[in-house]
Amino acid sequence: MRFKASIHNLIKLTRFVASLSSLGKVAWVRLNDEEVRFTVIPEQGTQVWAVLSIDSIFETYSIQSASPNNTINLEVPLQPLQKALRSAISAVSTNIRLTKKNGIPLLSLTIVTTSYSGNPAGNFNTLPLPTQSQANPTSDAAGNTSAPNVGGEQDFGLAPGDPYREREITIMQDVPVRVLSAATVQGLHEPRCREPDVHILLPPLLQLKSISDHFTRLSSATMKSSVLNGGASTASAMQTSGPGPKLELSANMHGCLRLSISTDALSISSVWRDLANPDLDPSQYEGGEEGLRQHPTARMRMMGGDSEESWAKVRIDGKDWSRVLSVGRMGGRVIACFCHNHALILYVYLPNEDDLAEESVLTYYISSYSV
Amino acid sequence: MTSSDNSSAPSFYAISSSARQLFLLLRCISFAPKAQVQITKEGIRLSAEDSRVMQGLAFLDKSLFSTYNYIPPRKSSHQATNDAGDDLESDDDELDLPPFQISLPALLETLQIFGFSETKDRWSSRDSPYAGGMNGAFPRAGSAAAFDTRVLGMTGVCRLSYSGIGEPLCIILEESGVTTTCKLVTYSPEAPEEIPLRRDRLAQKIIMRSSWLHDAINELSSTSPTRLTITASPTAPYFMLSSSGPLGSATVEFSKDPKLLETFQVNRRSVNTYKYSLIRATTKAMAIASKVSIRCDEQGVLSLQFMIEVEGGGVSFVDFRFVPFLPEEADEEAPDDEGGEESEEYDEDE
Repeated sequence: MRFKASIHNLIKLTRFVASLSSLGKVAWVRLNDEEVRFTVIPEQGTQVWAVLSIDSIFETYSIQSASPNNTINLEVPLQPLQKALRSAISAVSTNIRLTKKNGIPLLSLTIVTTSYSGNPAGNFNTLPLPTQSQANPTSDAAGNTSAPNVGGEQDFGLAPGDPYREREITIMQDVPVRVLSAATVQGLHEPRCREPDVHILLPPLLQLKSISDHFTRLSSATMKSSVLNGGASTASAMQTSGPGPKLELSANMHGCLRLSISTDALSISSVWRDLANPDLDPSQYEGGEEGLRQHPTARMRMMGGDSEESWAKVRIDGKDWSRVLSVGRMGGRVIACFCHNHALILYVYLPNEDDLAEESVLTYYISSYSV
Repeated sequence: MTSSDNSSAPSFYAISSSARQLFLLLRCISFAPKAQVQITKEGIRLSAEDSRVMQGLAFLDKSLFSTYNYIPPRKSSHQATNDAGDDLESDDDELDLPPFQISLPALLETLQIFGFSETKDRWSSRDSPYAGGMNGAFPRAGSAAAFDTRVLGMTGVCRLSYSGIGEPLCIILEESGVTTTCKLVTYSPEAPEEIPLRRDRLAQKIIMRSSWLHDAINELSSTSPTRLTITASPTAPYFMLSSSGPLGSATVEFSKDPKLLETFQVNRRSVNTYKYSLIRATTKAMAIASKVSIRCDEQGVLSLQFMIEVEGGGVSFVDFRFVPFLPEEADEEAPDDEGGEESEEYDEDE
């Protein structure tokens, strides 16, 4: 079982891992000849099934295992991985490989950065993070992995020679992982969902997030009767864990998206208009064009935009939704599929630098809460 | 889409091109969870109160709105909607719309739903010479760029409407393709008892720049005091703010220089003590106001009136009233003889 690759789009991978780590502590990572898959299935909240094309992240990629397609399944703690990747932000090159130390499997990152040793201040600028936080990547992710705590290793391979020359620094970051057997992952299936009633292209996620966060805050602010200082105390309310208030998100086939919430003190809704309802590809469906005419979205489109029936609705947790929307930092088109009163599925298509490469798709499964 | 469409025409309907401006004024009184709203012909009065010893009042003058439509109910109470133009004559029949209460944090959060901080970054007035004050929070007229979306009225347009008792206060905000509609539940009003200020028997009236009062209060806050004593006297020390608390006490003294205290009318010495945290709750107003009038009647009721310049050149007022501690409770301090010409501030650490 061997895996070795060099990371060429580090920012993308770092942002991607960061957005996943807000939703869950560990990810099931499936590496094979064709693609890289990250799956996060938290006990509660949104599931993410992401498929990244190899080329969008890695440059040289070699994988070998006894399984078909050279598949390797790993359980990776996300926060330590995110921290390790962050220390590579100003790196010249970053390599990742699967290795074993003292019998513990590790994803080992080799990060090469350069610094001018003649200027001590410069050193600190190029060293990305205080080393203390990297030294022990597993310490923060309490209880998320069965692997024992193995300290990372810092290897400052300072080149000998002229002290005023550029020097190379090599940072090693080890993230302990668990190798999952084929039997373990056999039971993991992507959720199945009925055909959506409405699909719509979402507005920019960060705008949606900003308004959603206001809604969440509004309801926390008005729930607590003892709020004396509007701004400060409601901001802290966002931080507390536990289930957040439930937002109602709905959309129709006439380009409208509506976000609303009701509390004792108010009811508020924001409506986006003139969004696109993308057409479905007939070749993907049984019966082609004819089959599509029977599709729920076609029926929803027939209904007038004014009637309440034309809206497909889901109720989602405000805090969880906010974490989902943090993927907006990565850019890309987002299509939301609404199954009325049942679930919301988001497809996030990440842009690729070269159009030739296959698109990477992140799929978020959000189930609707009952009223 | 709004529910007011199917009922009779709203008794009150107003459009403001700047939700931000309303927000900044109303934030001044954000010390209470609820605000009482009184809609009048001249504007909207929002008041908040704390334990009957502090009141804050923000008045949104109708000049702050580009459209201001108010049809007062008639005494005949047939609920008949007035014909257009009929309401111009102010009959005796006219009643004021009864006041109601709304959730103040909800109102404030709604007004900033599109996030002012974001627009501030994009259309930053950092280069503007007027960017002083509180994070440039209240740019003076003319500081906005010509193609600022705020100037073009593309952002922050805010419509308010209210159709009568039991109906929600409806706020509609629009920004580039997004419409937010908020219906604030209206609660029945509490007995609207104002803290009385005897204007005819004022013990002191001092007008100064608000930022100086703000500085003084910030200075005194360092010892986390519990009480604030305001001393005004026709002889030195003329005007003094002293704080006291478990950690010690501090005093800020103002000289009578007309450059400092624009108006100084004090007939006889008055000493009154207030709860510090209540006075401190007005700092949002202090920070954005240009001037403050500090008045106090013979019974010790304190009025802080802040004059706030608004975009477009007008001014708005935010008022606060405070009830003092009973005089025997207040620890009388011997007058200080060291009053100098300059305002000084010293700690008396015990």
